[in-house]
Amino acid sequence: MRIKSYEDMNLQELDVMKEISSIGTSHAATALSKMLQKEIRITIPEVSILGYEEAVDKMGEMEELVAATLVQMSNEVNGLMLFIFKMDMANAVLEKLIGKRYESFTDMDELDYSALEEIGNIIICSYVNAFTKLVGVEIDLSVPSSTVNMLGGILTVPIAEGGYETDKLMYINAEFIVDGVSLSDGLLMLPDIKSLNNILEKLGVS
Amino acid sequence: MAEKDLKVGIGDMKFTRGNGVIITYALGSCIGITMYDPGLKLGGLLHIMLPSRVDPKDPKVFKYADSGLNEMIRKLTAFGMVKSRTVVKIAGGAKMFSISGNADFGNIGQRNAAMVKKILAEQHFRISAEDVGGSHARTMLLNVATGDVVIRSAGRPEKHL
Repeated sequence: MRIKSYEDMNLQELDVMKEISSIGTSHAATALSKMLQKEIRITIPEVSILGYEEAVDKMGEMEELVAATLVQMSNEVNGLMLFIFKMDMANAVLEKLIGKRYESFTDMDELDYSALEEIGNIIICSYVNAFTKLVGVEIDLSVPSSTVNMLGGILTVPIAEGGYETDKLMYINAEFIVDGVSLSDGLLMLPDIKSLNNILEKLGVS
Repeated sequence: MAEKDLKVGIGDMKFTRGNGVIITYALGSCIGITMYDPGLKLGGLLHIMLPSRVDPKDPKVFKYADSGLNEMIRKLTAFGMVKSRTVVKIAGGAKMFSISGNADFGNIGQRNAAMVKKILAEQHFRISAEDVGGSHARTMLLNVATGDVVIRSAGRPEKHL
C-alpha cells in the first residue's frame, strides 16, 4: 500500500477527492432539495485532512451540542460516513418537515430526532451512491445510527475507530444555501487506509 | 478560565501541584483518569483513546490505556505521589452510536474501560469513583487545590465524583 495515512495524499489526489466530493455533494443537495421542496445551492466543497482538534475547531466547539448521523460502509470500501447537523441546518430541515424551530437540541423530541436521522441518512446515501458510480466500487451501507451529543465527543468516534491507522479525518465541507441563507454542514467520509488506496487506484491517480 | 487552567487534549496527560484546574473536554468513547495525592496536592489527568499500544515504537504513549497509565504513574511517582493515599477517578467510555445488526460497533468505550480497570488493578490502585458508560459525552475537571472532580454533560446536572 502506497498511502499509509490520509495526510500522505498528494495535491493531485486531494484534487480528485475534491472533484468526486463535489459531485457527491450535489447529489446530496438534490436529494435534500426534493425533501424540502426548496431550491438549494451549494458551494464547491473543500476537502481537508485534519487532526482531531483541528476538525473540532473548524466545525465548532468542543462542548457544542450537535446532531449526527453515522452509517457504516462495507464491501469494497470499509469505513464510516458521518453527517453533522448544527442548529441552523437542523432548524431549516425541521421547519420544513415538521413546522417547528428550536433554540437547542435538548428541546427536541424523538420525532424530531428521527426526522434528522432520516435526512442525514438520505444525504449520506445519495453522496455514497454518486461516489460508487464514479469510482466503480461496490459499497454496502448499514442502517443509520444517530446521536445528539457534544461535537468533541462525536468526533472521537471516527478518530477512535481509525485510531490504530491514522490520527486524521477527511472532512468534506460545502455550504448549502437555502433561501439565500448559507447553512453549514459537515460530512465526514472515512474509508480505512486499505480502501483509500483501493479508491485512488481505481481512479488511476496512484 | 483562570490562568493556571491546564487543558488536556486527546491522547495526552497533564499534571500540576498546589492549585489550578486540569480539564479535558468532551470525552466520548475515550476515558479520562484523574490521580490525586491530597498530601502533596499533586494531581494529574490522562485522556486515553484506545485500549492498548500495539506497536511498542509508537511514541504517543498517552493515546493508549496501558502505556498511558504506566507513564502517568511513573511521572507522578517521580514527583512524589504516594500510591496508598492516591485517589483515582475515571469517566467516559460512552457508546456514542449503536448500529443495529452490528453489536460490536462502538464497543471501544467498553473495551477502554475494561483495560483501564485492569491496568489500575495490576498496579494496585483503587478506583474511588467512576462515571462510565451510557451514550453521552462528558467533560472532566480536576481541581488540584481540593481534589474535587467535576463531570459536565449536555442537558444533565453537574456531577461531583
